[in-house]
Amino acid sequence: MKLTCQILITAILALAATVGQAATVTVFAAASLTDALKQIAADYETSSGDKIVFNFAASGTLSRQIEAGAPADIFFAADETKADALEKKGLLVSRTRKSLLGNSLVIVTSAEAAAIHAPAELTNAVIQHIALGEVQTVPCGTYAKAYLERMSLWPAVESKVVPCASVRAVLAAVESGNVDAGFVYVTDAAISKKVKVAFAVPAADAPRISYPLALLQDAPQPAAAKKFLAYLDSSAATAVFKQLGFLVFSSLPSQ
Amino acid sequence: MNPPILIANFRKQFPGGPEIVADDLRIRGGITVLFGASGSGKTTILRCLAGLERPEKGTIRFGQDNWFDAGLNHFQPPRKRRIGFVPQDYALFPHLSVTRNVSYGLQGLPAAERASCVAETLRWLGLDGLEHRLPCELSGGQQQRAALARAMVCRPKLLLLDEPLAALDTPTRLRLRGELRQLLRRFGLPTILVTHDRQEALAFGDDVVVLHDGRNVQQGAASEVFNRPVNLAVAEITAVETIQPGRLLEIHDGLATVAVGNVRLVALAEDLPADACEVYVCIRAEGVILVRADLVQSSPRNRLPGTVRAMAREGPLVRVNLDCGFPLTALLTQLACDELALDKGVHLVALVKAQLVHLIPFAR
Amino acid sequence: MNGAEWQLVGFSLRMALASLVLVFPIGLGLAWWLARKHWPGKALVETLVSLPLVLPPVVTGLVLLQLFGRRSGVGNWLHHTFNCDVVFTWRAVALALAAMSLPLFVRAARTAFEEVDVKFEQLARTLGAGEWRVFFTITLPLAKRGVLAGTLLAFARALGEFGATIMVAGNIPGRTTTLPVAIYQAVENGEDAHAWLLAGVSAGIAFAAVFTSERIMRRRK
Repeated sequence: MKLTCQILITAILALAATVGQAATVTVFAAASLTDALKQIAADYETSSGDKIVFNFAASGTLSRQIEAGAPADIFFAADETKADALEKKGLLVSRTRKSLLGNSLVIVTSAEAAAIHAPAELTNAVIQHIALGEVQTVPCGTYAKAYLERMSLWPAVESKVVPCASVRAVLAAVESGNVDAGFVYVTDAAISKKVKVAFAVPAADAPRISYPLALLQDAPQPAAAKKFLAYLDSSAATAVFKQLGFLVFSSLPSQ
Repeated sequence: MNPPILIANFRKQFPGGPEIVADDLRIRGGITVLFGASGSGKTTILRCLAGLERPEKGTIRFGQDNWFDAGLNHFQPPRKRRIGFVPQDYALFPHLSVTRNVSYGLQGLPAAERASCVAETLRWLGLDGLEHRLPCELSGGQQQRAALARAMVCRPKLLLLDEPLAALDTPTRLRLRGELRQLLRRFGLPTILVTHDRQEALAFGDDVVVLHDGRNVQQGAASEVFNRPVNLAVAEITAVETIQPGRLLEIHDGLATVAVGNVRLVALAEDLPADACEVYVCIRAEGVILVRADLVQSSPRNRLPGTVRAMAREGPLVRVNLDCGFPLTALLTQLACDELALDKGVHLVALVKAQLVHLIPFAR
Repeated sequence: MNGAEWQLVGFSLRMALASLVLVFPIGLGLAWWLARKHWPGKALVETLVSLPLVLPPVVTGLVLLQLFGRRSGVGNWLHHTFNCDVVFTWRAVALALAAMSLPLFVRAARTAFEEVDVKFEQLARTLGAGEWRVFFTITLPLAKRGVLAGTLLAFARALGEFGATIMVAGNIPGRTTTLPVAIYQAVENGEDAHAWLLAGVSAGIAFAAVFTSERIMRRRK
C-alpha cells in the first residue's frame, strides 16, 4: 500500500511538471503549406519542446471552422480575404497579422494527357476535365478563376471545371488521371512526381497571391503560439519555405 | 386388362424422415385411387409423379416418355410432363381471377381459342357467372371446381388430385363426391386420386393402390383389394371389421376349414400356400347376414350362433357387434334392426358365405 | 426557392430515378436468387450485398473510384473503347447512388419473395410455365407490395447519399451536384440560410418516401 502511494504521487508530480513545461500549439493552415510546415514544425519541436498540431485544409473551410468555434491558436491562409473575414468578426489578433509568403500558379497535366503549351489550349476538345479548387473556399481556385477571366478563357472552360475541396485534392485528381489538367501552386507541383508542369502562369497575369498569418483571438495557448509565430519568421523557417519554392516577403511585424 | 400407362419404381428419402417407396407401381387408364392412412406417403408419391419432388433412386416412365431415371441422372421437369395437378388446398393463384387462373396453362393457344376453351370448361364445371371473381370470393366447392378446371382445360395426359374433397365440409363433400365422379368419367382423362377415405376410394376407384408405411402394398380392382386384402396391414387399412387369427385345419375340394377359437369356418382356399397353418380370417361386416331363427336349410356354409354385445348407429345403418365364439361385426339397416327387434343380449345366428371369408396367411 | 435550386432538386430526383434503373433488375435478380436458391457460400454473397449498408460510404466510393477511374478496371475500358468517362460525370452519380441503395432494396425484395408460398410457383410449373414466366406472372405480382416498399426506400436512400457520391462524382454545379452535396457546400461557403432551405426540401422528400413505404408494408395481407 505504501509503495502504491509512493508510485502514484511520483506519477502525479511528473505529470504536473510536464504540464507546466510543454504546450501544444494548434495551427490551421492552408493545404499548400503541408510539406513546408511539417518540416519546420519538426525542427521547432526538437528545439523548443512544444508540440505543434496541424489542421490542413482549404482556407475557406478553415475559416468556417474557426467561425464555428474550433479551438485553434494560429491561422495561416493562402488568401487575404479569408483573414479579412475573420478580422472583421474580431476573431483575429490584428496586430499579430502579417503577410509572410507568396506563390505562383501553374497548370499541370496528368501523365497521359495531351501536352499544353499555352492556357488557350485548355479550350481544346481533347481536354475534357479541368480540376480547380472550389472557387469560394479554395484560394487556389479563386486565383485560377480570376486568371482565366482575365485571359477571357473562363466562359469556354467553365463547363469542363471539376471543383475540388483543396489544392491538394486538385493535385490528387490530376495525378489519378481522372482529369486532364489542373491549376495548382508551383510549390505543390514541385513535390509531386506524377504530374507535368505544362505552363507557369506569369506573375503579371495572375492575381497577387499572398499568405496571411495571424494569432487567433480565442487561442488556447497564446504564449506558446506567439513563440511559434516568431519562429515562422526566422531565417531557419524562411530557408525551408524558399527551398520548397515559396516567395518570402520581407516581414514587417507590427509588434 | 389395359396395359399400364405409367410404371414407377422409385425411392424418396426425406432427411430425418421416412423413406417412401413406389414398388412396381402400375397405373392403367381410368381412375386410380392411392389409398392409405395419413402419413402413408400418398401425397409424396403423387408429387414425385408430378415432378414436384425428385426421388433419389429409380425410374418413372409414362408411355414412351422417360420422366425420371436416377441411373441416367435424367429428370423431366413438371412443365414438360403435361400433367394436371390439383393440391389439397387447390393453390388457386390469389391475384388472378377465375378466368385467368383457368387460362394460365393455355398460353400456347391463340387468344380466341383460349377464350372459348376456358368458357366451355367453366360451363361444364358450373362456374359460369364467376369468371371475374377472385379465389378468395369463391366458396370451398367453387374453388375446388376452379382448381379442377384449371388442371383439366389443358387436356393433360394425366390428372393428379390430392385429397380433392378433404378441404370441404361434410355435407358439401358428400354432395360433390358424386358430381366429381361424373365429371372425371365424362372427361375421361387418366386420373390418379389420393384419399384416406374408404368411401371415396370405393366411389372413385377403378383401380385402388393401398399404401402402408410409405410403400404400395396391394393394387387391383376396388372389389379385389377391399374384399381380398393381401395382408394384415391392408386388411386394417381397408377397415375390414372382423379380423381374427385362426388355424387352418384342412383344405379339401377348393374349400378350407379354419378354426377360430372353438368355431369352425369354411372359406375358399384360393391361393393359400400348401404349408400355411396359421391364418388371419377377414370378414367384412356387409357380408354378414343375421337371422332370428335358425333356418333348416340355407346356402351360406357358415352358420354362427351368437349374442348381440353392442349396437352403434351410423347414419341409416347400424353396426352390430356379436359374440359368436369370436367377435364378429355386422352392418344392418336400421329397418332391419327394428324388424328383428335386435337389442343387447339377443341370441341369433350369423350367416356368412364361404366366398366372403377371406384368409390371409400369417407373416406375409 | 429560385430556378437554380429547383434545377438542383430536379437533378437529384433524376439521378435517384436513374439509379433505380440500375438497382431494379440487379436487385430483383439478387433478391430472388437469395430467396429461392441455396448453395455453399451463400452467406458470403449475403454479406457482400449488405456491406454498403454498414461500411463508411466513402469506402464504397473508394472502391467505385478504383473500378471506374480512367486508369483501371471498367473505367479504363470505357474510356478507350467509347471515349466515355464515368468519374466526375452524372454516370458516377447514378452509380454511387445505385451502389448505396442496392442493399436496402435487396433486403426488402428478398423478404417479399420469401413470403410468396412456393406452392403457387410449383403449380404454375405443372401448368407448363417456364422459370421466367413463373417469376413475372406469379412470384413478382405476389411480392409486389414488398418490392414497391423496397423501391421507395432505395429511392429515399439514393436521394440522401453523400459520401460515395462526392468521392466519385465530385461537386460540379449543374452536372454532378446533388442535394446533399449542395447542402455540404453551402455550409462550407457560409451560406447557412441556403443550406437550411435545401435541407428542408431533402427532409421533406425523404419523409414522404419513407412514410409511403411504411404504409405499403403495413397494408400487406
